Amino acid sequence: MTATEEAAGPGVTGATRALAALRGSRLTLAGVGLLGVVLLGASIAVAVTIGPADIGVGEVFRSLSSHLGIGSTPLSALRDGIVWELRLPRLLTAAAVGAGLALSGAVMQAITRNALADPYLLGLSSGASLGAVAVLLLGVGLLLPVAAFLGAMLALLATLALARSAGAITPARTVLAGVAVSSLAAAITSLVIFWTATGDSYREILGWLLGSLAGARWPAVAIAVVALAVVGVPLLAGARVLDAFAFGDTSAAALGVNVPGVRWTLLGGTALLTGAMVSVSGSIGFVGLVLPHAVRLLTGPGHRALLPLSALAGAIFLVWADTAARSLFDPRELPVGVVTAILGAPVFALLLARRTRT
Amino acid sequence: MHLRLAFPLLPLTAVAVLAGCASPGAGAAPTPPATTAAAAVAVDNCGTPVTFPAAPSRVLTIKSTSTEMLLALGLGDRIVGTAFQDGPLPENLAADGASLVSVADQVPTEEAVLGLEPDLVYAGWESNFSADGAGERDELQSLGIATYVSPAACKEPEYKPKKLTWDSIFGEIREVGDIFRVPEQAEKVVAAQQAELATVAPDAEGRTALWWSSGDDTPYVGAGTGAPQLILDTLGLTNIAGDVQDTWTPLGWESIVAADPDVIVLVDASWNTADSKIATLQTDPATKNLSAVKNSRYLLVPFPASEAGVRSADATVDLAAQLADLS
Repeated sequence: MTATEEAAGPGVTGATRALAALRGSRLTLAGVGLLGVVLLGASIAVAVTIGPADIGVGEVFRSLSSHLGIGSTPLSALRDGIVWELRLPRLLTAAAVGAGLALSGAVMQAITRNALADPYLLGLSSGASLGAVAVLLLGVGLLLPVAAFLGAMLALLATLALARSAGAITPARTVLAGVAVSSLAAAITSLVIFWTATGDSYREILGWLLGSLAGARWPAVAIAVVALAVVGVPLLAGARVLDAFAFGDTSAAALGVNVPGVRWTLLGGTALLTGAMVSVSGSIGFVGLVLPHAVRLLTGPGHRALLPLSALAGAIFLVWADTAARSLFDPRELPVGVVTAILGAPVFALLLARRTRT
Repeated sequence: MHLRLAFPLLPLTAVAVLAGCASPGAGAAPTPPATTAAAAVAVDNCGTPVTFPAAPSRVLTIKSTSTEMLLALGLGDRIVGTAFQDGPLPENLAADGASLVSVADQVPTEEAVLGLEPDLVYAGWESNFSADGAGERDELQSLGIATYVSPAACKEPEYKPKKLTWDSIFGEIREVGDIFRVPEQAEKVVAAQQAELATVAPDAEGRTALWWSSGDDTPYVGAGTGAPQLILDTLGLTNIAGDVQDTWTPLGWESIVAADPDVIVLVDASWNTADSKIATLQTDPATKNLSAVKNSRYLLVPFPASEAGVRSADATVDLAAQLADLS
């Protein structure tokens, strides 16, 4: 996959340089953000030409332009389908999910003041997995994304109820409640898999548990993009409040922040966003955990830069991770969660090592 | 915090254990049994030496392939229990197998196995023998229970064949015939299958095919070395995933659409029916224009017949008839 490497190379180093410049010469956030958007657009434009099917760059753009109504002759129905029904919706879903997860992760790390927090902290992925297992193995008559979303929301409610049962919601209590709910949901998921999986039916659920964008079509794009626009964008406005949170609940209250109210709102928003993303992609790991840390290393802890840039970095990262997942072992496919974990785990390990040393 | 990360992995662990039973049946040509005098039959089964001083009389079969093998050899009365069956028995064996008792829907635990007091556990997959499955082979054998795995499903590199052949399957039939001291019956079954297969004429048009076993987002399909490849070869169809050196493989939709197979073989399993596969193919905007979909060129095979075994020949003949009806 030299095409992938060549395309990823300049993008990644370009972003690094630009972000370093942000710290050094105080280049405006808007400038870097714009650069990120351009990089994301370029990534999608390049990645849409990559795949196991032998379709030339010219053909790809003929397909795109005919759908965008800029004329030109369309391809044969099948070749057009590869570009317009498979590659493009998958790339757009990857971008939206990557952005949503990285953003959720950054917010979650701030409200819990926990460097190891990720979007799934409140039991969301375990709850969503349980919903997915119910459909895939128990034959519950719901659409998979609907069941996964409901599962995630049930887990969230259980976690918050548990965290609140002992009084005000504190970060530590929230994390512990998440542990309890996650482990219960995960255990039930395991039980269902052991109990019911026959023949090779476990394969579908395996792909789902690891996170996969292979099933992403236009409806998935709609869910992910709408969730990002409706829930994700307003979360960006919480940046200033999150900066106040960094100094602890008491200091935040002294700065005039309504601590419990804001925490509820942000937790709810993050959970809603994550639930929507998980419902279309399964639980893709590490994007929400590692990318905010990577961006923070470059931008510093201020959330006004951290939140939007994490979202952009997450989008670009997942676009390329999924492109690798579908084309690296052509014609085989990997669940994208395997790719993100292979890239994310070493970074995560490094962060852990740094934490224990300091 | 570390704990929290451990828990979400639980379902994956569960899947990983099941995934150990993945890739059903690659076929190794079974090593011919070294019959010592008239007494013991000794075989090297997937690297485990097994000795049969006498024909087994109390057999537990795990997975459909092993049950069907014994029924085909007229040994149904030796079966004390079946477990983890993949689907109903084929018509020609249904009457003989009507009285069989299923002891577990999944792989039985070792204690359940011991409770049956079998003298042989005959499994379709190597992974059925594990500490959290029917028990490790060594341990069962030390308790006087012989173990046998369909040689087509051996996983060790020296025992897993480069490519499954009819001779691998006939080899298993003969080996099981020797173990049960019914070699004539085994020869009869082999001869019948050879005659049956001789009637299959390769597809005149040399069409291409996809063997879709399961999975919707990323189809899990028959690849280049297992029973699907053997059957497709016999039918004169070119497997679009035939270049992948494995028994089964995940194959992305993009590769499938790009190859545009002429014919699609749909595995009909209770957990992923042929009907649900057809519905997916017809509604997904990326696949509804495939020529096999537009012309409804589907061939159906029940899941238990899609794994290498005594049923493979019948499945091939059945698919050949369906193929002939298409054109």
